[in-house]
Amino acid sequence: MSRFYYYLVMINMIANIISAVPTILLRYRNDGAVLSLIVGIILGLVIVIVYTKFFNAFPGKTFPELLVQTTSKWFYYPLLFFMAVMWFIAGISTLITYSFLLIRYLTPDIPIMLIGLTLILSIIFGCFMKTDRVLYTIEIVFVINFPIIIFIIIKAYTSKNLNWDFIREAMLHVVQAPNIHAVSSSIFLFLGVVNLVIFNRFFTQKQNFGLKQIIVLVFIAIATTFTTYFIPIGFHGSETVGELIYPWIATSDSMRMRYFVIERLVYVFLLLYLSMAFLSILIHWHVAVELFKYIFKLEKMKFKGINIGYIILIVFFTVSSLYIIVSLTEYQLFQYSKYFFNIAVVNFFAMIFLFIYIIRRMKGANKKANES
Amino acid sequence: MSSKVNLSWIASQFEDKNDLIQKKLELDHKQITVLFIKSLIDQELYQKYIINPFFELPTQEQFNLYLFALPQFQEVPSKEKALYFVMEGNVLIEIQDNLYSLDFKLSKNSDVNSTSVETTIHGSELALSDNLMTNINVIRSSYHQPSLMIEYFEKGEVNKPKMALIYDDKKVKRKALESIREKLEKIDMQVITEAPQFNTLLNDQRYSLFPKMLLTERPDRIVYNLAGGKVILLVDGSPQSMIAPVVFFDFMTTMEDNYHTLAISYYLKLLRYIGIFVCILLPGIYIGAVSFSPEVFRTELMLTIAGSRMGVPFTSFVEVLFMLFFMELLLEASIRLPKAISATAATVGGLILGTAVTEAALASNIMVIIVSAVAISTFVIPVNEMAFAIRIVRLILIVIASIFGLAGLTLGFLCFIMYLVNLTSFGEPYLRFYNYRKGNQDSEGQA
Repeated sequence: MSRFYYYLVMINMIANIISAVPTILLRYRNDGAVLSLIVGIILGLVIVIVYTKFFNAFPGKTFPELLVQTTSKWFYYPLLFFMAVMWFIAGISTLITYSFLLIRYLTPDIPIMLIGLTLILSIIFGCFMKTDRVLYTIEIVFVINFPIIIFIIIKAYTSKNLNWDFIREAMLHVVQAPNIHAVSSSIFLFLGVVNLVIFNRFFTQKQNFGLKQIIVLVFIAIATTFTTYFIPIGFHGSETVGELIYPWIATSDSMRMRYFVIERLVYVFLLLYLSMAFLSILIHWHVAVELFKYIFKLEKMKFKGINIGYIILIVFFTVSSLYIIVSLTEYQLFQYSKYFFNIAVVNFFAMIFLFIYIIRRMKGANKKANES
Repeated sequence: MSSKVNLSWIASQFEDKNDLIQKKLELDHKQITVLFIKSLIDQELYQKYIINPFFELPTQEQFNLYLFALPQFQEVPSKEKALYFVMEGNVLIEIQDNLYSLDFKLSKNSDVNSTSVETTIHGSELALSDNLMTNINVIRSSYHQPSLMIEYFEKGEVNKPKMALIYDDKKVKRKALESIREKLEKIDMQVITEAPQFNTLLNDQRYSLFPKMLLTERPDRIVYNLAGGKVILLVDGSPQSMIAPVVFFDFMTTMEDNYHTLAISYYLKLLRYIGIFVCILLPGIYIGAVSFSPEVFRTELMLTIAGSRMGVPFTSFVEVLFMLFFMELLLEASIRLPKAISATAATVGGLILGTAVTEAALASNIMVIIVSAVAISTFVIPVNEMAFAIRIVRLILIVIASIFGLAGLTLGFLCFIMYLVNLTSFGEPYLRFYNYRKGNQDSEGQA
């Protein structure tokens, strides 16, 4: 598999550490979160494998192109629109979470409107780049940040304050029946693979996707999920951890670099996750922008050589996300995230049936092409 | 049309005839007419290869054969070409109504210079010369491949310098070559004097910050890049050459990297990349830490900085801009000044101003340290053009950091990376990681 594929999958997993996922999981820590995690890993891997195999069968083709070939207009326009909105919201949820984080921890004296605007403006123009350039950006930023991620993880696992008894105790809850919200939010970690709907355009050659690649994915999946859920418990204890709004920020604030220029790890963590959130939003919104472009044929809306379609989209993205940032509270954010995760997971499972249909139709189409 | 008419046409083009010489030689049955510009040709060669044989060889046929055998011999297709040959320093010879040209160009600028911009400790100290033919000789004699292609052409309406496009036919990136040729066609300039002009002439975007071509004076870099499938542009009279297409990492390598042992060259590369990070980010970090989030760094450090800023009347933003401004002035001044004075300027500017500024409490001591660290790390970037671009990026990041603090600095840096990635140099992505694994088949395409 190309390394860029792993970036797509991993960025979503890593970036969601700061989103609502760990908060939701930890809220259900006594109501079946552990078993939900296990179920989530299995179902998430199913999604990853099915999506990868499906898009691997049609190298270089995006999902809209496949839909056009196999289904009719009344079906694929609403579906694509729905997906575009979903991906736009996925980007917004990361954006809002990070705006809240910034105003709470790093720049409390800057108005939230300005913070949101800075974040949006720095990302929105990148979403209109070509797909390969988006992937190159992801690679470079990821490679620059990767040593810091490894450092933080090692620091967390070797910290004296990490109490393994808390983790063992939390594991005992494995017997409780899984909870739907916890399952869907842990599946959401794996939904980075859905970005292939547009990014498959980049993988023009058939990729090698066999057992070796799946084992790597399983390893990544288990490691990330375990770290996301159990490390905060190990630091804060299973009783109090549920009261934290941002469990991972509090966790990183529990670590100290005694001899370094920056003493509190939380600031390294915040700036690191600023780049991760940046990448996550960039990926999601790139997919959303491409889908919107496809639905409304934005390339053709030109006035005196200036592409109005793009400007409309940029204004729409900026204004609507600013409105949501200003109007939403943290509590609402978590409630809505929960429902968003549920809808996303159900939707992307349902799409597997659509894939089966598309594969059959494509076979028929290929046969027809061969006969004629 | 006879060659007599051609000769008189050429002579009539030079209205002021003091430099043009036209002579008719006759002896026994031999007869030739020569035409040349006195100041352009090598008179010794002329004497040795044309005059002497003319008087020594018994018949016209033998003289003709002799001329034909000379390596400088060339047929003349048209009268316009003949005019061009004369202006290039050739001697036109008319024999029995046929016109020939012999290249006896005298070039006083054909000495190879020593490197002045890209100096290294290891490796050759010799650079290109001002003469196109010498340069091509230098390149050809260190790149032995029959597939090395050299295309000559002229651009610039008025002065029409000879230029050469050099590439290895087997290795060159076709797409880039086509796009360079296409852009060369479109050039519309009156005067072209130096190769670096191509950087703007071949650039479609009017406002661009980063160089899309690499300027070099080192033959070893040219050979290295030819083997990498790149295209070299040379202009007669210019001791520098342009290389295209380039990627960001080309600007971060020196030729010396290949001459050191592996560990040393990796260490130097690491140093260089840390240098570029420091030079872009350090002023921004200072502003962000002092004015926005002093809690980020450890308390002792922030207390030291705050103590050092005691009595400084400005905010950190003004302080940084104030010091950077003088540093940039100093840099700019020391380039223009004669060498003898520039040392004084550096002393006055760097030492005296630095000390006086801190004593007058216009800037903190730490600020002076940061500014000098930034200045030094700018010099670490091996290619000058990139260093200039980076200086501008640094200013932009300082402004962003003074509005949004450390978070803004990080975002600005990410945007800077995104901007670089989005750039294209003749069809090649400007910044991306390449996979150098052996036998690596591209499993991705470009979308």
